[in-house]
Amino acid sequence: MTSPTKAEGSGPAVALDPELAATTETVQVKELVGRSPGQLMWIRFKRDRAGVTSACIVLFFIAIGLLAPVISKLYGKDPYTVYADERPELFDSAGVPLHPNGGISSEFWFGLEPGNGYDVFTKLLYGIRNSLGISVAVTVATVLTGVLLGIAAGYLGGKVDFAISRVVDFLLAFPSQLFFIASMPVVVSLFVDPKDETPVYVRVVALIAVQWFLGWMSLARILRGTTLSLAGREFIEAAKVSGAPPWRIIRKEILPNVVTPILVQSTYMLPAFVTAEAGLSFLGVGIVEPTPDWGQMFSKASTELVMQNDITYMFFPGISMIIFIVAFNLLGDSVRDAFDPKTAR
Amino acid sequence: MLRFILRRTLGAAVILVLLTVVAFLLFFGMPRDPALLMCGKTCTPDALANIHQTLGIDKSIPEQFWIFLSGLVMGRDDFSQGSCPAPCFGYSYHTNENVWSTLIDRLPTTVSLAVGAAILFLIVGLGAGLIAAWKRGTVVDKAFTAGSMVLSSMQIYFLGPLAMAILVFQMHLFDEPKYTNFTEDPAAWFTGLILPWAVLSTIFAAQYTRMARSSMIEQLQEEHVRTARAKGMSRSYVFFRYAWRGSLIPIVTIFGIDIAALLGGAIITEFTFGLPGLGRLAVEAVNFSDLPLLLGVMLFSAAMILLFNIIVDACYAFIDPRVRLS
Repeated sequence: MTSPTKAEGSGPAVALDPELAATTETVQVKELVGRSPGQLMWIRFKRDRAGVTSACIVLFFIAIGLLAPVISKLYGKDPYTVYADERPELFDSAGVPLHPNGGISSEFWFGLEPGNGYDVFTKLLYGIRNSLGISVAVTVATVLTGVLLGIAAGYLGGKVDFAISRVVDFLLAFPSQLFFIASMPVVVSLFVDPKDETPVYVRVVALIAVQWFLGWMSLARILRGTTLSLAGREFIEAAKVSGAPPWRIIRKEILPNVVTPILVQSTYMLPAFVTAEAGLSFLGVGIVEPTPDWGQMFSKASTELVMQNDITYMFFPGISMIIFIVAFNLLGDSVRDAFDPKTAR
Repeated sequence: MLRFILRRTLGAAVILVLLTVVAFLLFFGMPRDPALLMCGKTCTPDALANIHQTLGIDKSIPEQFWIFLSGLVMGRDDFSQGSCPAPCFGYSYHTNENVWSTLIDRLPTTVSLAVGAAILFLIVGLGAGLIAAWKRGTVVDKAFTAGSMVLSSMQIYFLGPLAMAILVFQMHLFDEPKYTNFTEDPAAWFTGLILPWAVLSTIFAAQYTRMARSSMIEQLQEEHVRTARAKGMSRSYVFFRYAWRGSLIPIVTIFGIDIAALLGGAIITEFTFGLPGLGRLAVEAVNFSDLPLLLGVMLFSAAMILLFNIIVDACYAFIDPRVRLS
C-alpha cells in the first residue's frame, strides 16, 4: 500500500530541532500503518473481553474433542468398558452406583453411569468429540452449499436465481425436526439392509446428510441478497469490462466481500447443529449406545432409573452443553460486532 | 384482504402438494423396498408379501401416488380395515387405525401444550423484555439479560428430565405429567400439564425476553418515537403506545414460526414428559417404521406451518400501519 502521506513522512526531515523532528516522525509512522480489514477486525475482537473469554472456552471444548483419546489414555479408562460387569461391587442390584453422587470417587472422576456403568468422564469426552465432529461436518457441508447456491443465485440472476429461490422457499416450509426423525431410517436403509445391524458410520453419514439437506437455506438466502447488492457495484462492473470471466469475478471480487456474513452465520449455525444432533440422539434416532454421544447421554439421563436415583449424572452433559452453547453464542455476537461495528447490540 | 388470503392460500396449496410429492417419494420411492423397512428384523417372506399387498406397493410409484392423492381428496374404499373417508391418509401399519382419526385424536394434547405454553411464555418473556428495556443499563437489565442468555441456551432434553427428577421424584411437588381431556376433568388437565408448560415456556420466555428487549431498544431510537417525546408526551406513554407497538413486528414473525412448530408437535417435550401428542406420535411412527402414519404427521405439521405463515402475514396489517396487503 502506497500512501502519499507516508511517502512524505519517510523523506528526510528538514527541521531545525533534530530531536523534535525525530519524535514527530515516529508518531507519524505509528499512525499511518496500513491495516487490512482482517487486522482491524482482529484488533476490535481482542478488545472485547466477553468475546475473548468465550473464544477460549470454545477452543477448550474443541481441544477436548481433539484430545479425547489422549486424555482418556492418561486417565486410564475408556468409554466402552461396562463396569457393571467388571466391578459389580460398585453397583446395587438396580445398577445404580453405590457411592454417593453417582459414584464420584478419585478413581471415577465424574462417577459411573447408572445401568451399564460406563465411566462418565471418558464418556463425556468422547461424547463431545463425536457430537462436535458431526456438527462441524454438517456446518462445513451447509456453508459450502449455501455459499455456492447463494452466490450463484445472486450473481447469475434470471432463471438460476428463480429456481434456487423457489427451492429455498420450498425447503423452508418443511417441518425440519420432524423431517429429520422421519428421514433418518429411510436414509439409513439406503445404505444397509433393514435386516442387518446398522454400522455406526452409516448413522453418522445419515445424520450429516439429513441436517445438511435442510440446513443450507438461510445462509444461501443471506448470501444471495449480499451478492445481489454487490453485483451492481462499480468494481464488479470494472472487472467485467476488463474481461474477467464470471468464475474469476466470483472468486476474486465477490467471495472476499461475503466472508463476514459467512463467518458470522457459521458461528451461529454450529451450536444449532450441536443441539439438533443431540436432540436426534435423545429421541433415539441418532447415535445409539454404546457409541458415546452428547445427546445420547441426555437420553440416558431421562430414564426413570436416573431421574429417581442419580440426579448427579444428568448435570455432566447438561452443564457442559449450556457452557458450550452460551460461549458459542457470545462468540458469534462478538465476531459480528468485530466485523461490523455499525450494528449495535 | 380477501385477495391476499386467497393468493396466499393458493401458494400454500401448491407448496403442500409439492411437499406431498417429496415426502411420498422419500418414504415410498427411495428405500429399496419400503415393506422391508416396516417388516423389521424378523421378517418372513409371507409377512413381506402381506405388507406389499396392504400398502399397495406392488404398483408403480406414480400409480401409488395417484391413489394416495385421490384418497386425500375423495376417500378410498379399498382397505381391508374398512372404508376410509376423505381426507384419507390410509391406515397405520402398526396399530391398524385410520391415520386421520389418530391425528385428530392426538391433536388436543398438542394444542393444549402449545397454547398453554405460548400464553405463559408470551406474558413472562415480553414482560421481562419490556422491564429490561425500560430499566436499560441498570442492575435489573443486566440480571435479566444474563439470565435469559443462560436459560435460552438450555435444552428441553436437559431441563425437562431435571425438572422431573427434582420436582416429581425428589420433592413430590407434582404428579408425573399426563394428559387428561379438558372436557372430562379441567383440574386434572391443568395439573397434568403444568410441568411441561413451565419447562417449555422457560426456554421460550428467555428467547422472547432477549428479542423483546433488543427490539424495544431499537424502536426507542426511531424517529417517530423521538418526535413524540419532543412533542412533550410522557415517557411511559411513548414507551407503551409508540415503541411497544413497533417492537412487536419482528416478535410476531418469530412467534408465528414458533407456534406453528409447536402445533405441529413439540416432539422433544412430548417425548420427555410422555404426553400423547402429535410429536410423540411421530417418534412412535419412526420407531415402528409406520410409513403411512409418518406421512400423515408430516403433512399435517407442514400444513400447520403454512397456515400460520399466512395468519402472521395477515396480522402485520393490523400491527404495522405501513404494511399494505395486496
